Amino acid sequence: MLDRLGTSLKDALKKLAGRTVIDRTAVDELVRDLQRALLQADVNVKLVMQLSQAIKQRSLEEEPPKGMGVREHVLRIVYQEIVNLMGRPGEVTLGPQTILMAGLQGSGKTTTVAKLARYFQRKGLRVGVICADTFRPGAYEQLRTLCDRINVPCFGSPTETDARKIVREGQQACRHLEVVVIDTQGRHAFEENLIEEIIDLNRISRADHRWLVIDAALGQQASEQARRFHEAIEIDGVIVTKMDGTAKGGGALSAVSETKSGIVFIGSGETIEDLERFDPDGFVSRLLGMGDLRALVERAEEAVAGEDLDVNALLKGKFTLRDMYKQLEALNRMGPLKQIMSMLPLGNVQIPDDAYDITSAKMQRYRVVMDSMTAAELDDPSVIGSSRIKRIARGAGVSPDDVRDLLKYYKVMQRALKGMRGLGGGKFNMQRMMKKFGRTL
Amino acid sequence: MFDSLKKRLHAIRNAFGSSIEDAMGPAPEEEVEQPLPEAASPVQTGETPPAEEKRERPTVINRLKVFVKEQEVLLQEKDIQEPLFELEMALLENDVALPVTDEIIARMKEDLVGRRRRLRSSVDVLVLETLRSALCGVLGDGLNLIDYINSHERPIKILFIGVNGTGKTTTVAKVANYLRKHGFSVVIGAGDTYRAGAIEQLGTHADRLDVKIIRHQAGADPSAVLFDAVEYARAHRIDVVLADTAGRFHNRANLMNQLSKIRRVVKPDLVVYVDEAVAGNDAVIRADEFNRTVGTDAVVLTKADIDPKGGAAISIAHTIKKPIIFLGTGQGYDDIVPFEPRAVVDELLGGEAQCWTDSERP
Repeated sequence: MLDRLGTSLKDALKKLAGRTVIDRTAVDELVRDLQRALLQADVNVKLVMQLSQAIKQRSLEEEPPKGMGVREHVLRIVYQEIVNLMGRPGEVTLGPQTILMAGLQGSGKTTTVAKLARYFQRKGLRVGVICADTFRPGAYEQLRTLCDRINVPCFGSPTETDARKIVREGQQACRHLEVVVIDTQGRHAFEENLIEEIIDLNRISRADHRWLVIDAALGQQASEQARRFHEAIEIDGVIVTKMDGTAKGGGALSAVSETKSGIVFIGSGETIEDLERFDPDGFVSRLLGMGDLRALVERAEEAVAGEDLDVNALLKGKFTLRDMYKQLEALNRMGPLKQIMSMLPLGNVQIPDDAYDITSAKMQRYRVVMDSMTAAELDDPSVIGSSRIKRIARGAGVSPDDVRDLLKYYKVMQRALKGMRGLGGGKFNMQRMMKKFGRTL
Repeated sequence: MFDSLKKRLHAIRNAFGSSIEDAMGPAPEEEVEQPLPEAASPVQTGETPPAEEKRERPTVINRLKVFVKEQEVLLQEKDIQEPLFELEMALLENDVALPVTDEIIARMKEDLVGRRRRLRSSVDVLVLETLRSALCGVLGDGLNLIDYINSHERPIKILFIGVNGTGKTTTVAKVANYLRKHGFSVVIGAGDTYRAGAIEQLGTHADRLDVKIIRHQAGADPSAVLFDAVEYARAHRIDVVLADTAGRFHNRANLMNQLSKIRRVVKPDLVVYVDEAVAGNDAVIRADEFNRTVGTDAVVLTKADIDPKGGAAISIAHTIKKPIIFLGTGQGYDDIVPFEPRAVVDELLGGEAQCWTDSERP
């Protein structure tokens, strides 16, 4: 199901590829697919509607920057809007602080408290934990067991029923520690006396941070719950748990949007080490069921900017092996060829999957071959005769045929660039080049 | 439960109504109101309307022909497009998963388009009927646990499974309390030997409820614990064994295999899948996965007090087609209510459903 969704988004993007004018129906279609992807990821329905409106409007109104294809343009807008929605990752300071945890029943607070303790402990801070969950049987034993495993002191009492008292005494007991994490009972926003309690706990503990724990599977209720928690104790960070399941965590996005805070951590496993700092790109990718969107956007921008290439020299017809080397290096940095190809505006050119592997291997070899060349050879490949070919081949550990292959490839590229110059436009046309280059490989 | 969905549905029914009215155009004045032809069709299991009902392609000519000759209208897709979209949004906002929403909408469309509607007969009835049939079809018939226990050989073994943090342990305690109140003897097997504090948690519940609990140490083989619980029940002629298990994610093959092993060893009469009412679209994916790899017989939906919208109920019931037996509605032992799908649908469609709950009765 996940894959299918990603695919339909990709198909919609494909339709935009290679177009020069933005087509309303294509954008509509893309937005519709995006809506479905986000709704399926449990993002709040109203947020989804707002987001898709903004994307539609911007895609149709904004002129794509020069040299950027329609598809990259729309892709960039989609990415920007989603990142906007997500806010900045919440800040984590590595100093003395008190953290109060809040969240619904069964969202994974206790486990997360232990993971946080471990996180700060590994950063070299002295950590203590207070178990203020006086309701759920076994809560203290659970936290105690987890803390014992990592030698973190755990304050609490299985018999005490007053959470306020525990926090008060616990803070006294933890005075000499730098980081104190307070676990609380699971509660939901409609339980007024419990909301009252957490307001009190917040006041008593004078917590520096109040983090809301959100289950990745939480649905539309996330907005409402987050809003009310925020009203009660001003949430300043969200932790998404259970990201190791198949849930996509759209509820966390709703929560972030309601609390105007950011996601601080992601819990993604059952062991105490399974806590990661939040990575927005990975999160968006998962949300949409699509590859790393930001990397794609950046790569597309890079490809358009083509900083590594001396465009002027190229247009004057001076395309040397050195330029090609740079170009291959740039491509290499941009990631696996397959991804680059998928985002380049090649229209619906279908390249078989195995072609990519051969190609990347070949590129790698080309670079090695060029490493064996002298500066003079790189600047003016026409000096390379058969004896030089033999020397280069020996130096690079390849066969002379490989060297010839490279020279052939270089000539193709050179011709391609010349052709472009003939067409005018003065712009380095990556698209055309990639096309030629796809054909020769 | 279902309050907000109910509100939205009410608004949407009106929207359906008015767009269907629009589609009809002005009605002749002298037309006398006639009894509904098909409104009384029973929709108990969401079957398609009776065969004698004529379906025609809603072309212009057909529409006109029908309109002139029989003073009826044929509904067209575009007549109901807008309210359908609204219905879709309402379902999504209430956490009904996307694929399930799609199917409900498709079913509504299929049922309504090309349907003949006698002029001036209540539009409401038509829409209600269709909506009700769609929802009833989704929620199924339900299952009465007490009847089930009474009609099967004891001890009845009930295995509780689900992902982490949905409330399995709490549910086991609540069901133990519920069954005790109905006069059954109960033993609990502490099969969650993985999570820290889980055995203590269930132990405390058992003490408070004065129910026998079979437990081993943390880290023990859950199959062994639960096997002992079943043996204990046999030896002491206890009516029901409630077997707790550790929460696990459906994408962990090893943990799912462990569950299959537990299933082989315990041979439960009922495998109860526990999930939470607050879950969104993932509810569908994981319910399906549990159902496929381990198999489930019934569903308990917890935390219904947090999310009274009830979309997860519709999603899960639709996906695995298994009855929901209980709703967990709070933190106390008594906060558990048997789930009755028909009552819920009636409730959902509001008081106006009366007119045709009546017609339903023979």
